[in-house]
Amino acid sequence: MGIMFTRLFSSVFGNKEARILVLGLDNAGKTTILYRLQMGEVVSTIPTIGFNVETVQYNNIKFQVWDLGGQTSIRPYWRCYFPNTQAIIYVVDSSDTDRLVIAKEEFHAILEEEELKGAAVLIFANKQDLPGALDEAAVTEALELHKIKNRQWAIFKTSAIKGEGLFEGLDWLSNTLKSGGG
Amino acid sequence: MSGHDSKYFSTTKKGEIPELKEELNSQYKDKRKDAVKKVIAAMTVGKDVSSLFTDVVNCMQTENLELKKLVYLYLINYAKSQPDLAILAVNTFVKDSQDPNPLIRALAVRTMGCIRVDKITEYLCDPLQRCLKDDDPYVRKTAAICVAKLYDINAELVEDRGFLDALKDLISDNNPMVVANAVAALAEIQENSSRPIFEITSHTLSKLLTALNECTEWGQVFILDALSKYKAADAREAENIVERVTPRLQHANCAVVLSAVKMILQQMELITSTDVVRNLCKKMAPPLVTLLSAEPEIQYVALRNINLIVQRRPTILAHEIKVFFCKYNDPIYVKMEKLEIMIKLASDRNIDQVLLEFKEYATEVDVDFVRKAVRAIGRCAIKLERAAERCISVLLELIKIKVNYVVQEAIIVIKDIFRRYPNTYESIIATLCESLDTLDEPEAKASMIWIIGEYAERIDNADELLESFLESFPEEPAQVQLQLLTATVKLFLKKPTEGPQQMIQVVLNNATVETDNPDLRDRAYIYWRLLSTDPEAAKDVVLAEKPVISDDSNQLDPSLLDELLANIATLSSVYHKPPDAFVTRVKTAQRTEEDDYPDGSETGYSESPSHAVDSGASPPATSTNAPYAAARQPSPVSPAQVPDLLGDLVGLDNDNSNNAIVSIDQPTVPAGPPLPVLLPASSGQGLQISAQLIRRDGQIFYSLLFENNSQIPLDGFMIQFNKNTFGVAAAGPLQVPQLLPGTSARTLLPMVLFQNIAPGPPSTLLQVAVKNNQQPVWYFNDKFSLLVFFTEDGRIERSTFLETWKSLPDSNEVSKDFQGIVVNSVETTLDRLTSSNMFFIAKRKHANQEVLYLSAKIPRGIPFLIELTAAVGIPGLKCAIKTPSPEIAPLFFEAIEILLKS
Repeated sequence: MGIMFTRLFSSVFGNKEARILVLGLDNAGKTTILYRLQMGEVVSTIPTIGFNVETVQYNNIKFQVWDLGGQTSIRPYWRCYFPNTQAIIYVVDSSDTDRLVIAKEEFHAILEEEELKGAAVLIFANKQDLPGALDEAAVTEALELHKIKNRQWAIFKTSAIKGEGLFEGLDWLSNTLKSGGG
Repeated sequence: MSGHDSKYFSTTKKGEIPELKEELNSQYKDKRKDAVKKVIAAMTVGKDVSSLFTDVVNCMQTENLELKKLVYLYLINYAKSQPDLAILAVNTFVKDSQDPNPLIRALAVRTMGCIRVDKITEYLCDPLQRCLKDDDPYVRKTAAICVAKLYDINAELVEDRGFLDALKDLISDNNPMVVANAVAALAEIQENSSRPIFEITSHTLSKLLTALNECTEWGQVFILDALSKYKAADAREAENIVERVTPRLQHANCAVVLSAVKMILQQMELITSTDVVRNLCKKMAPPLVTLLSAEPEIQYVALRNINLIVQRRPTILAHEIKVFFCKYNDPIYVKMEKLEIMIKLASDRNIDQVLLEFKEYATEVDVDFVRKAVRAIGRCAIKLERAAERCISVLLELIKIKVNYVVQEAIIVIKDIFRRYPNTYESIIATLCESLDTLDEPEAKASMIWIIGEYAERIDNADELLESFLESFPEEPAQVQLQLLTATVKLFLKKPTEGPQQMIQVVLNNATVETDNPDLRDRAYIYWRLLSTDPEAAKDVVLAEKPVISDDSNQLDPSLLDELLANIATLSSVYHKPPDAFVTRVKTAQRTEEDDYPDGSETGYSESPSHAVDSGASPPATSTNAPYAAARQPSPVSPAQVPDLLGDLVGLDNDNSNNAIVSIDQPTVPAGPPLPVLLPASSGQGLQISAQLIRRDGQIFYSLLFENNSQIPLDGFMIQFNKNTFGVAAAGPLQVPQLLPGTSARTLLPMVLFQNIAPGPPSTLLQVAVKNNQQPVWYFNDKFSLLVFFTEDGRIERSTFLETWKSLPDSNEVSKDFQGIVVNSVETTLDRLTSSNMFFIAKRKHANQEVLYLSAKIPRGIPFLIELTAAVGIPGLKCAIKTPSPEIAPLFFEAIEILLKS
């Protein structure tokens, strides 16, 4: 589908939504990011047992954002949400260096999924406000992002609490989706 | 769903599930909603759509209340079949329970309670907690009910999270609806719990009475039901409560009326003033009468309840018998119940009216009703002596109508009337005999035959009448055969002429040789033997005066009636069966287990493995202690545990070495707690330790019982002994498993001697320190008995004894007098001493006194030479010992005093 057609589509059918999954380990900040994007404010969250879904309008695109719980017990059910997904936002707690290995394994497992083959991947190196948080280069290294092939991806330094980096990421995502990458 | 939604039921396409799946994942809201409706439609007609679980759950987070309700409906239905995936719904529940819209909050909490999946109940506690404190009363009342549901799923969780207290707080809520629902929830929980959870206090009482006037009708029912279980302190309080509740009797809802009646009846039991009671009875009549103008179904329920009420308080409706007169168009089940109540209310005052009614009913068309009416007349005759004659004349009138089943029924009841008033109304027998040929029902036949037999001497042709029945004897039902047999015997005894003699031979022959019925045969043989042995005795037996029967129309047992009255306005009062007769609760079984538990832990069936080695020790004690063990443990314990338990109890007596022989002599002496409590729970933050140093199979053990009465599990137990006279110390680590709250563990810790000997004068003091991972270190003191140290090889040869005695200087001899000890038998005393490893060497008589010589040894071979002097049966015992270590003598005297005194 070309750019022109997508634009036409979205202008005619205003409720066309892009389906986005927010994934990541527990306590990475997924729910906080979701509500920061949707309401523009920081809400106090509790561990998500299950999911949150919200619609976020940005750059003339409606994102249907699914924030899935990151607990080990819930991760197996992520796959229920994979079909028809245009993009994945993978959130990493950059200060939790101990679990970066697990984050990496989960991440690459997701990339292997057949149903997510065409999905763009946006990585948020979150919690930059915390001391000792790794920068994007270090996170890129830790997640072995250079192994990604045949897929559009980007990594952004973010702080959901301060609201930094999120919309830059969304900019990239909306451009990528508009250009038909998703 | 509105009417036109029926179209969703009509899809028949193939591949419906994948199609639905696709639609559920549609990006268009309307399409998703339609899809969910289709799913629910499929679900309601019984198709399995559980495979769409995640897809449906994904539609859960929506603004659309209708869609949300549908998804919730789906969840309730399928969460059980998809317990793992159900967890995906948790977050939405949590969110919805915080929604600004109270309807959604309540919906969430209500649905949560319906999802019976263990994995997710825990996550739902926080939202529930919040909703119990919600600003909106509708949410609070829904949460209250949810607590009851949760209790059914996981009672422990409810208690741990303090939901019960939250519920109790809701009783003081300012919204009456919340109060009513909290009461309902608590009552429900109470029914499933063995512990008292919901007890109305005078404080809650006033809250409930206030809320009663303000809440909805069904709320009133809940509150009234709860109040009916309240035991008022005295008559005055009961009167006050009743006064506040009486206005409910005027309520339009019959459930409220019945609950109010129940409550008032319960409180009336306490009210002593007859004026008040009479007044209340007067007040209760009109509402009960009003119930009978409702639909037949409600009438039936009311009648079943009234049936109970009039059994306890006949005065309430004594003047209202007319309302129980049957209408021609009453359904049969209502008519039957009305008849029952009419019988109960019939009195000398109204019997004429009632008989007129009954007579009328007896001419109706419904056979069952007619029969019951005829029986009712008979029952009235039995119940009311003064009206008996009138009743009988009505029955005779009915017989004259010559309707077959009326006649037969009449004969049956007349037989009962004869049994109630013997020798009073035989004049009517002639009339009865006229209908003899029409009888074809066994019961009627049997009744008639009984009458003929009973009054054979007054019926001239009794033999002919009976003979006419005898012809068909082999074909008759057993009931008739038995009566024929008896009647013939009676006839023969009353008229021992030729005719009856022949008859009796035929009957006895038939009833013994020709029949297969053992009852009949046995009875026939008894008569035969009686008649052939002693006809006079037979007369005394067969023609003896029989006790008169009484009216059985108040047939319910008083205790059953009490129970049923407490359950008025429930199914129980309609069935006239106690609730547990038709409601089975799993919980009841658990309850008994719980009850048994403390008993079990006390006698220690959570046995530590180290003890198994020692079970079965001390054989002589086993037999005498077996009944004792059984008595202590009356609740059934699985057989596997019994030997262990026995061994344990046996061992305990051995532990208690001072008492070892006592328990053989007096096995029934209640031993109290088996081990002395050294660290009471009050000073051990809930941990209680009982312990004693014991000797078993030549080894010394420290027998310990740990009981955890605290709220937390305790583990990592360790033990340490301070320096002591014999240097007693643990031979190995203490092995106690983790102790959950409310459990106990028993263990035997092997001990060694001479590890760290305390200098200074000998003492029986044993200082112990016990620690665990959760609590501070506990210190306590124990006192041991020297007897524990007496070794099994303490026997000394006579010659050696003499030598040793002589070799020791006199300064090594210590003696003491025990005024309080009585030696009643030398043998018993010796047995007792032997079992504590003090061995008999010789005995001599000195004047009237017995002198016993014994030996004992403590470790490291230190001998004790013992001389006991006492006169049998006279208080006073002199004990002299000679030993290389005379400093230990005080310990010895202390021990022997305890041993022989008990």
